[in-house]
Amino acid sequence: MVEPQGISAEYSFVRDLCVPFLLGAQNRDGGWGFETNSDSRVEPSCWAMRALWNCPIPVSSEALKSGVDYLLQAQLKDGSWPANAGGAGSWVTSLACSILASEKEYQREVQAAVEWLCDDYPRDSTLWRRMLQKLRSGEPVDNHDGSFRGWGWTPHTSSWVEPTAFAIQALRDCPSAWRPAESAARLDLATGLLYDRMCPGGGWNCGNPMVYGVAGEPLVLPTGWALLALHDCPDGERKTKSLNWLLNHFAKISSVASLAVARITLESYGRELPRSHRTLHEMFDARALSITTEVVAWTCLALSPKRHWFPKTEIAN
Amino acid sequence: MIVRRATDYQKDLEQIILESLKEFQVPVRGRTVLLKANLVGLDPLNVMNTHPAVIAAARECFLQLGAAQVFIGDGPAMDRDTEAILESVKLRQFIGPLQHNFRDLNLDDVVRVPLPTRASRLKELYLPKTVLGVDFLVSVAKLKTHHWAGVTLSLKNMFGIVPGGCYGWPKNVLHWAGIDNSILDINAVARPDFAIIDGIVGMEGNGPIQGTPKPAGVLIFGDDPVAVDATGCRVMGLRPERVNYLARAGTLLGNLETKKIHQVGEKLESVRSSFSVLPAFSKLVE
Repeated sequence: MVEPQGISAEYSFVRDLCVPFLLGAQNRDGGWGFETNSDSRVEPSCWAMRALWNCPIPVSSEALKSGVDYLLQAQLKDGSWPANAGGAGSWVTSLACSILASEKEYQREVQAAVEWLCDDYPRDSTLWRRMLQKLRSGEPVDNHDGSFRGWGWTPHTSSWVEPTAFAIQALRDCPSAWRPAESAARLDLATGLLYDRMCPGGGWNCGNPMVYGVAGEPLVLPTGWALLALHDCPDGERKTKSLNWLLNHFAKISSVASLAVARITLESYGRELPRSHRTLHEMFDARALSITTEVVAWTCLALSPKRHWFPKTEIAN
Repeated sequence: MIVRRATDYQKDLEQIILESLKEFQVPVRGRTVLLKANLVGLDPLNVMNTHPAVIAAARECFLQLGAAQVFIGDGPAMDRDTEAILESVKLRQFIGPLQHNFRDLNLDDVVRVPLPTRASRLKELYLPKTVLGVDFLVSVAKLKTHHWAGVTLSLKNMFGIVPGGCYGWPKNVLHWAGIDNSILDINAVARPDFAIIDGIVGMEGNGPIQGTPKPAGVLIFGDDPVAVDATGCRVMGLRPERVNYLARAGTLLGNLETKKIHQVGEKLESVRSSFSVLPAFSKLVE
């Protein structure tokens, strides 16, 4: 779609709506909340920065610098980041790690974060729990292979698809010299966990492919995050099955967030986008809920043709 | 406690709800109300979620009773794409524009709240400012069995106020702290002022997501959420005192025993169904 002036409608949408929204929503402390005028949080801040970094519109370096400053001051002493002010370390550590990993001057902060990630083992797959599971009688709740381990939303809980996908991406975004030795083993275990948690017909939900013998339904967002994390991994057959699920489901997507992430995912695999009943910016204009930062950021990323999904590491190791 | 017969989602819903709220003389004039719906996941058939017709009718009734503002809110647990869930249940078609009426509790600003009951090992939770700031909190739940808790009614529905933006999707920290214990802790700090259960079509078996639709033809109302849930269980043909968290809620948060519950409307015997449960919960069956 091309406007008379030769500027694409998507470019105009990014220039006239996404970028002004993101710049206008930045708080004085440099961070972003989920909504305009809400408290700064690490997650929306990371998505906003990623979008502004990747968008085709020149953005003031001051906005990005103050965003980074917000992240730096929000990091906890143990190297992690909390999902909200006052909270303990959580999955958003992976998102912050990916943002900072492209700058050599943040090596100390990123290394601390990666060490925290590699020390954080979910509790559901400890040897003790796996033994208990085997001794338990009756129909098993799920069909998980307990030998795999990913990451949880919060420490010392269970592995789930989305935090595992974000952690895989964070470790990959770090220069290898910054990663602890055990990171390679954690990546293998986490990759195995993602494949183990894939739904029988392809795609992922939060991490329950089967409950009491009933197949779980895949969802777009976890499927997108998982496929993006597995982008460089082998096993074409299972990935193809999941990509096919996403392609087949694309036309039925009814939300901006899912359509944006589905588009980013399919394009990153070089797949042609199927027809949808509405374009992303049409759906954005007609969306049901008020605008939130992460949805604008995902939309901005989806409409930015030269995006790097995660910032490319340009540091000489 | 009021139990009303309602056979479908088209007829007389508003009238039934309004009459019930009037009986309780709910004190909402000039106040802000939050209807905490149960929106679990994508549900084109409207089986796992509170039916949008019930949410819309309840909202209209609270406005008619003079509420200054009536928000609808939830923080879906298994899927962060709340817009997709709302679109799948067609809430917009029942309510109109949602931008100013709906609160995604997963993404709300939060406040640290100490948990005085200490039923679970959690000492505190971060909870949404919207929930803590409204004048009148209403749990608008669905009549369902639950594969881990036995049943999910108005008390379990309050799991949805715990924000995914802090604890993830699902809010797994609550599972590790014990579902039963967490239900008690959450309701002790954010006890609903009123509860409505949509039992027009409930869910039996492997609920709360993968169960089977079960028409029960009732709406249940009350200002004691424990009594409402106990009655919900009895409508399902289940024994509330054998639901772990309800038995304990009956000593902390409200009334469980029939003799302590003043009930009007339909007699229980006339609306009692027989909801199937997973084998692990066969002890609940009357």
